[in-house]
Amino acid sequence: MGASTSTRFGARSSRVLLFLGLAIVAFLSIFPLVWMVNFSLLKSGDFFGSNVLKWPDPFQWVNYKNAFTLGHVHAYLLNSVIVAVVVITVTVIVSLMLSYVIARMDWKWNVYLSGLVMVCLIVPIYSTLLPNFFIFNKIHLIDNYFSLILPNIAFLIPLSVFIFIGFLQTTPRAIEEAAVIDGLSLIGVVFRIIMPISKPVIASVGVLAFLNTWNEFIMAITYISSDNYKTLPFSLIQFTGQYASNYGAQFAVMTLIALPLVVLYMLFTDRITNSLTAGAVKG
Amino acid sequence: MNKLWMDKRNIALLIAPGLVFILGFVLLPTAVALYLSFTNFDGVDYQTFNLSNYKDIFLHDPIFWRALRNSIFLGLALVVLQHPFAVLMAMLTTYAGKWERPLRVIIFIPAIISTFVTSQMWVSLLNVQFGLVNRMLTAVGLSSWKQDWLGNPDIAIYSIIFVAMWQGFGYAYLLYYAGIKGVPSELKEAAIVDGATKWRYNKSIVLPLLSPIIRINLVLAVVSGFKQMETVFLMTGGGPANSTQFLGTYLYSKAFRDGLFGYGNAISVLFIVFCLVMTLIMNRLLKKDVGEF
Repeated sequence: MGASTSTRFGARSSRVLLFLGLAIVAFLSIFPLVWMVNFSLLKSGDFFGSNVLKWPDPFQWVNYKNAFTLGHVHAYLLNSVIVAVVVITVTVIVSLMLSYVIARMDWKWNVYLSGLVMVCLIVPIYSTLLPNFFIFNKIHLIDNYFSLILPNIAFLIPLSVFIFIGFLQTTPRAIEEAAVIDGLSLIGVVFRIIMPISKPVIASVGVLAFLNTWNEFIMAITYISSDNYKTLPFSLIQFTGQYASNYGAQFAVMTLIALPLVVLYMLFTDRITNSLTAGAVKG
Repeated sequence: MNKLWMDKRNIALLIAPGLVFILGFVLLPTAVALYLSFTNFDGVDYQTFNLSNYKDIFLHDPIFWRALRNSIFLGLALVVLQHPFAVLMAMLTTYAGKWERPLRVIIFIPAIISTFVTSQMWVSLLNVQFGLVNRMLTAVGLSSWKQDWLGNPDIAIYSIIFVAMWQGFGYAYLLYYAGIKGVPSELKEAAIVDGATKWRYNKSIVLPLLSPIIRINLVLAVVSGFKQMETVFLMTGGGPANSTQFLGTYLYSKAFRDGLFGYGNAISVLFIVFCLVMTLIMNRLLKKDVGEF
């Protein structure tokens, strides 16, 4: 990489331009977040100075304390974790089963089945907000974990199925056939053979499901009204309504929500990159 | 060959849970939306069953058309501005040597953070009093460019589009980057041996190989522009004066703000129809561009 110094592109001036361009994009990507973290450590009065960034003096850790107490971060965080864990688990299992039929089994309706999944990929989740609100209301599913968990899973299935199918099509059937001859049932094949060998893809689907569920908020604010089931986004919404003037704590909440994801991303960059590109790059 | 792979009971067992989810939470609500769209349902009850919602939308609702136009506008902006730039940046990144990895990580960070955080962050960045954007303009002597970025109906839509692009850039970039990394290295070596410049190599080898990925991503871009809801919902809620209304936000405000549940459902139905049509058009348009490799 970069060994070809003889090409014109490698000239010093174009290298400077190259790095300048990339540096500007990197700066634009990251600087708003630096600004956000900076504000989370300032006194509310310090916002209005003329500096672009101001050194926090002293650091206003009290903003973070307020974030936790006023924003209910810990309670809502727990709810987000509960919803995410259930969604990820069920999505992986259900999608894997469905994909196995489409990719492997001799069934004349498979074409229609995958067509159905394809159509679901196009339906925007927001167009089901109102009817689901109505349905959940009728069957008393509104305002509990299920009103978040069930539609989240349903909308994650199509993409997950396509990722699984892509993987299954590249894996040979030999092991499965051997296992069946040895007397394993088909359910056994799916869970004891396919599941272990598709670990990397399961990780991809899991990451995708996690990010989607973690970041989902429109269903949450539509279906959830009681404090017991509120998820993380409500911590932030709390501050844009009730405590609108407490900017310091608001920025602290934002930092608290954003930072774990950023750290997680830095730790597992390659895994996450693979996950997010799995569906779209293979085409 | 083996009966197990043809056994109806096994098939039923394996597809049942998935089908229940898809039918129950994607297709059933779609059908219910279709049904309610013909009524004047207000969340409690309805009296009529007719086409008046659709008639009102098509004949007397300029805001709906504005929402549709905004959705198309965002889709176009993504295709014309964001994606070519993302391809270029992804190509350049592969020449950044030891900076390649850090750059990739940094540029993707905005995409990993929840929309509800970044939207709120941009509301602050664009704030008239303490926002960074106006402050920067002052700092470089352009104070006459200062704006109420989200409060001015003529400008708010551009601010929204900018933020949507900022948020989505990392993802588009990453997809192209991954695609470029997937180009077989022998091709690169061969090109270098043949004396191709890096420019030429990217234009004549990488870009054509990337075209299936570009095609899929342009479809996704248009559809995602169409489906845009979160950023707008959190930043302006469709305002000021409906200038940043999108289909998603509009159906929401019709139903939950105005209590016009039937009308909102009619917008939902059209929303789905437009997404389907848009996907078909994009697929058709882009199919011809792909050569054989």
